[in-house]
Amino acid sequence: MSAIIDKIFAYSSKFIAVSILLLVAWIFTVLLQHSLESMATSGFDFVTQTKWAPNLEKFGALPAIYGSVISTFLAMILAVPLAIGVAIYLSELAPAKLKGPVGVSIELLAAIPSVIYGMWGLFYFVPIIRDHVGGIGISMLTAGIVLSIMILPFMAAVTRDAMNTTPDILKESAYALGGTKWDVIKDVIIPYAKAGIIGSFILALGRAIGETMAVTFVMGNVHQISTDLTAPATSIPVTLANEFTEADSGLYYSSLFELSLLLLVISFTIISIAKFYFLRRARIGQ
Amino acid sequence: MATIIDVTEDKALEVKDFEFTYAGNEKPSVNKLTMPIAKNSITALIGPSGCGKTTLLRCFNRIHDLYPNNKYSGEILFKGRNILQPKEDLIHLRTQIGMIFQKPTAFPMSIFDNVAYGLRLQGMKNKTELQDRVEKALKDAAIWREVHERLKADANGLSGGQQQRLCIARAIAVEPEVLLFDEPTSALDPISTSGIEELVVELKERVSIIIVTHNMQQAARVSDYTGFMYLGDMIELGRTEDIFVTPSEKLTEEYITGKFG
Repeated sequence: MSAIIDKIFAYSSKFIAVSILLLVAWIFTVLLQHSLESMATSGFDFVTQTKWAPNLEKFGALPAIYGSVISTFLAMILAVPLAIGVAIYLSELAPAKLKGPVGVSIELLAAIPSVIYGMWGLFYFVPIIRDHVGGIGISMLTAGIVLSIMILPFMAAVTRDAMNTTPDILKESAYALGGTKWDVIKDVIIPYAKAGIIGSFILALGRAIGETMAVTFVMGNVHQISTDLTAPATSIPVTLANEFTEADSGLYYSSLFELSLLLLVISFTIISIAKFYFLRRARIGQ
Repeated sequence: MATIIDVTEDKALEVKDFEFTYAGNEKPSVNKLTMPIAKNSITALIGPSGCGKTTLLRCFNRIHDLYPNNKYSGEILFKGRNILQPKEDLIHLRTQIGMIFQKPTAFPMSIFDNVAYGLRLQGMKNKTELQDRVEKALKDAAIWREVHERLKADANGLSGGQQQRLCIARAIAVEPEVLLFDEPTSALDPISTSGIEELVVELKERVSIIIVTHNMQQAARVSDYTGFMYLGDMIELGRTEDIFVTPSEKLTEEYITGKFG
């Protein structure tokens, strides 16, 4: 009797687990199906052309791809050093009285919905960029900064957790050899936690590249490739959020689906690298 | 009352009216302790769990200072100075008084870099000098033959016993005067344990050694002096053969004959 229950339990959990895979495959299939028209019409021009003119039935997605890559890159450049700094402070330097409250408030920041970052960015950051850096304020730079602020708490919290896994005895042995706090942080704690830290960066990267609401407010949805960071731009999610309601032709609709397919593939690739490369190394390392 | 003998050798360390209290505790974990540590000898600290032997050991390199609000009082004299003074340079002190831990603690770097670590912290940059010192330390720690062909390999690939000898090599590379061993074999198999014990005995020619151990046979095998601690008090310190054959204190006799602990 109990053997049967075990079997039922095993099969039903197997079914649930497999259904996740089916769900992912289903989403992928739907996106692919709707993209077929665009693929047939635009071909490789879709990812190499810079002109996005729905009224002329021209769909070049390069500006959106460029915008996604550059805004994410900016966000990472700004957020990585800050996250490491915050994590080092919280795990090694902060007095016990501060560790708790500051740690909790960083976790709270990570829980703020991204639409709020977007609104805050539009009403607070856009004027600052406009007045002090230049342009109209709605720009690639603003998007990068808002994105970096958005991913910072997550990165800092996970990096701190990774650093906290360093065994006390390992830190003590470095101190016992005459190491200073800085020596121990850079030679023992960071190398020990390296895999976890890089893993958190890649997960944050995945989040930044797919982020929609926070950047939709401040990026401008302008399909152009400009080296001027204060110029308005667009990214794949921004284009999708802005234009789906306006897609009036079959090809326009299908092109947006191909964009989303592209985004899915990029995010998938990033998360896979994080999971299979860095997280595997983390397990081997410990 | 306690029986603490004086040592015939020179003294590496001298503990005087020493007390240590952990942060937040009222009661000291080491009570009013006065004892000598003989130079170029091995002093073993034995006693039941929680008796304060590891706590005492960790006072000698002031590793307790990594955690806030622990309190010392009294004196520990080392080379004529009281190392408990607030102005004591702990970084320098820890290069003179090294420590080996309960578990092997290889750093996440290569075998060579592990042993070179303490030397590099002291600013040694010259490559040949580093290589010579690392080789010497590995030879002295009796692990050179096993690792000399893979010095660039990750130290975490070594076995537990090898890692512990690597940690000893790392500690002696900086040529300390005192080495503190905190139950160095508690995580090791019997063969690795006897390897470490032989090594500890060889090392006493150059350094003074204090070793905390749960294992009374180990104390009897390796040490010259043995101190028996109980509830934060040093009950008896004497020559090891005296402690194990003719202890002066009743409590010591009961402990070594296995009546408690």
